[in-house]
Amino acid sequence: MNVFMREIKANRKVLIIWSIGMILLIASGMGKYAGLSASGQAINDFLAQMPESLKAIMGMGTFDLTKATGYYGVLFIYLAMMATIHATMLGANIISKEERDKTAEFLFIKPISRNKIITSKLLASLVNILIFNLVTFVSSILMVQKYSKGEAVIGDITKLMIGMLILQLIFLSIGTAIAAKSKHPKTAPSLATGILLFTFILSIAIDLNSRIEILKYFTPFKYFDAKNLMYAQGFEPIYVILSGVIIAILFRVTYIFYISRDLKV
Amino acid sequence: MNVIEINNLTKYYGKERGIIDVSLNVEEKEIFGFIGPNGAGKTTTLRTLLALIYPTSGSATIFGMDCIKYGTEIKKEIGYLPSEVFYYDKMKVIDLLKYSASFYKKDCSKRIKELTEIMDLDLHKRIDDLSFGNKKKVGIVQGLLHGPKLIILDEPTSGLDPLMQQKFFELLQEENKKGATILFSSHILGEVQRLCNRVAIIKEGKIIQLEKISALQENNYKKIKVQTTANLDQDYFNIEGVSNLEEKQNIISFLFRGNINSIMKKISDIEIANVWIEEPDLEEIFLHYYEKGV
Repeated sequence: MNVFMREIKANRKVLIIWSIGMILLIASGMGKYAGLSASGQAINDFLAQMPESLKAIMGMGTFDLTKATGYYGVLFIYLAMMATIHATMLGANIISKEERDKTAEFLFIKPISRNKIITSKLLASLVNILIFNLVTFVSSILMVQKYSKGEAVIGDITKLMIGMLILQLIFLSIGTAIAAKSKHPKTAPSLATGILLFTFILSIAIDLNSRIEILKYFTPFKYFDAKNLMYAQGFEPIYVILSGVIIAILFRVTYIFYISRDLKV
Repeated sequence: MNVIEINNLTKYYGKERGIIDVSLNVEEKEIFGFIGPNGAGKTTTLRTLLALIYPTSGSATIFGMDCIKYGTEIKKEIGYLPSEVFYYDKMKVIDLLKYSASFYKKDCSKRIKELTEIMDLDLHKRIDDLSFGNKKKVGIVQGLLHGPKLIILDEPTSGLDPLMQQKFFELLQEENKKGATILFSSHILGEVQRLCNRVAIIKEGKIIQLEKISALQENNYKKIKVQTTANLDQDYFNIEGVSNLEEKQNIISFLFRGNINSIMKKISDIEIANVWIEEPDLEEIFLHYYEKGV
């Protein structure tokens, strides 16, 4: 419990800064929609003429941009990107920082097992990403509703936020697993963020080139695609199961590697 | 009863040598010194005992329990002071001590108060505003606040001024009288001699000597330098017990081992400008062991 509280306190400031960033991103993103919607159907006609590749890079796909939720669907990939960067860094840092800051010689000579320390740290991370998700959820609803002209928004946003939460969990576990395995605690966060960027770019590449569609299983960003969640089949069982398996394995890996590692102090 | 038993403990960091085949026992209520130059494996040994790192082979027990398997149990009764103290920078001293105390299931607030008074420590400063010496003091309080039965210290005096060192040693001796066993590493022979009952000497990862401090004192070397006023043949000092005799610009230096009175008489018989009598450093002591062919 003490380690958990310690981590909550230590991460409080960072969480507040990220939350403010998220609120600003949503507010400014939806603010742009206000200008866009004034042009009416013209925007969809314009987009129809845009090359597919450009639309893919911008993440626009087939969204109906005359609707607030459609516009939000485009924005979602950026929100997910931000939330996953936060989760990755959080996971990598929370595990590696005791060695990085050389506080390992303080914490690990206390009568508490490494198992319990990791559990406390993971729980604290979980609380952090949940709060971050909730902040995103609430500010999304408020902002989208402001422009939706009575259109129902909560259903779509809820689906997207559940998808984002699973993404956060996946990348949190990638961060912790890398930190637990990494020989050099300082490089863990950058390595983990590198993986994140790679999977993100891969997801765009798949949009651009349908021949590599088979690679979609390697990028979690494809698991919870906004278009699919909102317009098509919703959550696909294969991806939900795959996510669950990835998260379970990586958390297990975190425990196994961290418990057997020689702490560098 | 042995509080610590180390059996053929070996640790390699990849291919790099940590310690090789270290075996030693620390008895209950003993103050045990662990000396050796930097990089000899002192810290490696202590960290393995504390299960911060895992041994390549061999084992160790503390309070009769395996130090890796029962680490959590054992650590309830261990106080540890690392050689370099690092804490969560943004915390205040008092918060850190309370955090530390929260791991032990007993009320430590009274002891925290006593110890910080002895150590003359400002509880309301932030850790990152503290000097190296003051951080060390936080470390000392932090290591002792739960009244541990075994105190492990890694080069405890570096960074402390002589007055604080004195207070700290008194504190340790007091804990020892109350029943605590103390194991500490050092590369300063003087402080080991002052405090310990027995010592182990470690060099290049191996224990080269394990003896009672009284035995070590029989090998009590002094490093003596004499500045003479007139030119003096250096052979004047070539008596029994003198080694490494050298002369440079009227300064004669040598190592002396034996009855200190005989050499003092020799010095008092001549006209001198200055004299230095020092503890030899550890390297010089080691030379002695190497000469014996260990």
